[in-house]
Amino acid sequence: MASKHTIATRHAQGIRARFASRFLRSLLRLRRRSNRFGGSQSNDEGIGKRIRTDRIKIAAYASMARAVGPRRTWSRALLFKLRNRARIHGVSRKRCLVSEKKRVTRNKVVVAISREPSRADTLRKLVPGGDSMDTCVLLEETAHYIKCLATQVTVMQSIADRLLL
Amino acid sequence: MRPCSREMQGMNSLFNPSSQIPLQDLQNQQIQNSHFDPNLSSNEDFLEQMLSSCSWADPKSPWDLNPPTNLPFPTNNSSSNSAKHRDLFNETPSSNSDSNNVGFRNNFDESVILASKLRQHQISCGNGAAVSDAAKMMLPQQLLMAVARGGLSLNDDIDGSLSQGGDGSIQGLFNGFGAGSMNGTDGASNQSMQHFNHPQGGAMQSPNLGAQGAAATTAVMNQPQASGSNGGAPAQPRQRVRARRGQATDPHSIAERLRRERIAERMKALQELVPNANKTDKASMLDEIIDYVKFLQLQVKVLSMSRLGGAAAVAPLVADMSSEAGGDCIQANDNGGSLARTTNGSQTASTNDNSLTVTEHQVAKMMEEDMGTAMQYLQGKGLCLMPISLATAISTATCHNRTSGIISSHAPMHQSNGEGPTSPSMSVLTVQSMTMGNGGGDGFAKDAASVSKP
Repeated sequence: MASKHTIATRHAQGIRARFASRFLRSLLRLRRRSNRFGGSQSNDEGIGKRIRTDRIKIAAYASMARAVGPRRTWSRALLFKLRNRARIHGVSRKRCLVSEKKRVTRNKVVVAISREPSRADTLRKLVPGGDSMDTCVLLEETAHYIKCLATQVTVMQSIADRLLL
Repeated sequence: MRPCSREMQGMNSLFNPSSQIPLQDLQNQQIQNSHFDPNLSSNEDFLEQMLSSCSWADPKSPWDLNPPTNLPFPTNNSSSNSAKHRDLFNETPSSNSDSNNVGFRNNFDESVILASKLRQHQISCGNGAAVSDAAKMMLPQQLLMAVARGGLSLNDDIDGSLSQGGDGSIQGLFNGFGAGSMNGTDGASNQSMQHFNHPQGGAMQSPNLGAQGAAATTAVMNQPQASGSNGGAPAQPRQRVRARRGQATDPHSIAERLRRERIAERMKALQELVPNANKTDKASMLDEIIDYVKFLQLQVKVLSMSRLGGAAAVAPLVADMSSEAGGDCIQANDNGGSLARTTNGSQTASTNDNSLTVTEHQVAKMMEEDMGTAMQYLQGKGLCLMPISLATAISTATCHNRTSGIISSHAPMHQSNGEGPTSPSMSVLTVQSMTMGNGGGDGFAKDAASVSKP
């Protein structure tokens, strides 16, 4: 199985296959974890489903970032953020938000100019790790990010189609 | 003044091939602006008048607009005189760009005025001016430039390099003029005088003025810098290349142009990725990109929500993924386990049909207890109830292209739970169609089941 997995994650496979395999494995992990804690947990209306939604979403982003690898700035930034969030999430939720804000502001430019956020600033907020990039690099990272997001969406959609049969 | 202006145009036509800066308008304007007495004949009085009439020291430094550069311009000692003349004409675009709202409040006003007066005087002196006249012309010209430089250096606003350059430049200019110009003055000046007679064939390039003014001003601004940096180099600031738009020799503008080009090519690459990318405007293109990224992130969120029912049944999918070397096929062989787990079902199914049956049983059971929970359960799976007739119609409509497995089963209530009063005419139909690699377009066509109560 390990050799098959490594074969599947060769670069020749393309990002789609790598993302799909990682995402499926993380979904499996999620299911095992949720079932270990009892079947009733997933039946909670409202908060339970939201938590599960978030976990699936985070799993999707994490698997995509790992499939891309540390080659890209946005994937590195995304992995860093998720790792910190996972670390801090274990401690407490409130502290997580605060420290995330602190982390974000540290990267931002210190000069506090009260101007309308330009389009480049909006894009920086959307793309992970976009704060510490100049415009030229930002556009390049955005292109790769869009490509990976599109493959992520198609893979997730096909998985959903298959699973709900 | 008109013949003088035409002569000016002639002079301009001489320099137009090299510079493409329309100087006719400039000079015409300056002729109007200058308070030059054309009737003055003697050189000495002329010089005095020039010096007295020029206005010094506009305290606002125009140098702030353009960053000072010390780029040494290509110097050509051979054609000193023509370069000097060119210099004079170089000064004029700045003032005209001023009038064209480039916003260049220049210290060149005085030098421009001096230049125009000089030219006029030269012209009025006649074309066949004597050598002595030409020589005397050179002298006020040199003094003009020197004074202009000195006037510039007097300004406090000019940054240090420029002021130092200004001081040094005067010396340099003097040396340059002394070394280069006065020696070759006679023949060159005669030549230049004859050039003044050149017929006014130069095309009016007034539209280029605003565009060229910017490029020219950078070149002009660089000139004192270059002269300052050269220091005592003889006649070097005179032979610099005038920059055209898009061909500026300034390293800053080159770097900026490179940056702009890189951004443009990245935008083009992005345009192919983003749909509806027919916008030519960079700003609206950025808006489209932002919207598309937000849309994709929202889609990921929605898909993770719809995964609530089926996330558990991943094991067979993973097995299939690892066994296949190919990329895209994800075959779902077993998803009954998910339904069993999530719904506390008692049955464990291993085939599609069984899973559907299990779903239906579950739905039927829940419908007994509470319609609301049944509906929510179905919604969580992305299913809905629909009449059988509609389901069959949809299935026949969509089944021709794709491998669609449509499973319809009637599960009357009395079969599933065998208890309680059930309406025999109620039918639960589950319609699901497999779509291979479909976009999200007809997602609602799949997984549809609706109930119709008679």
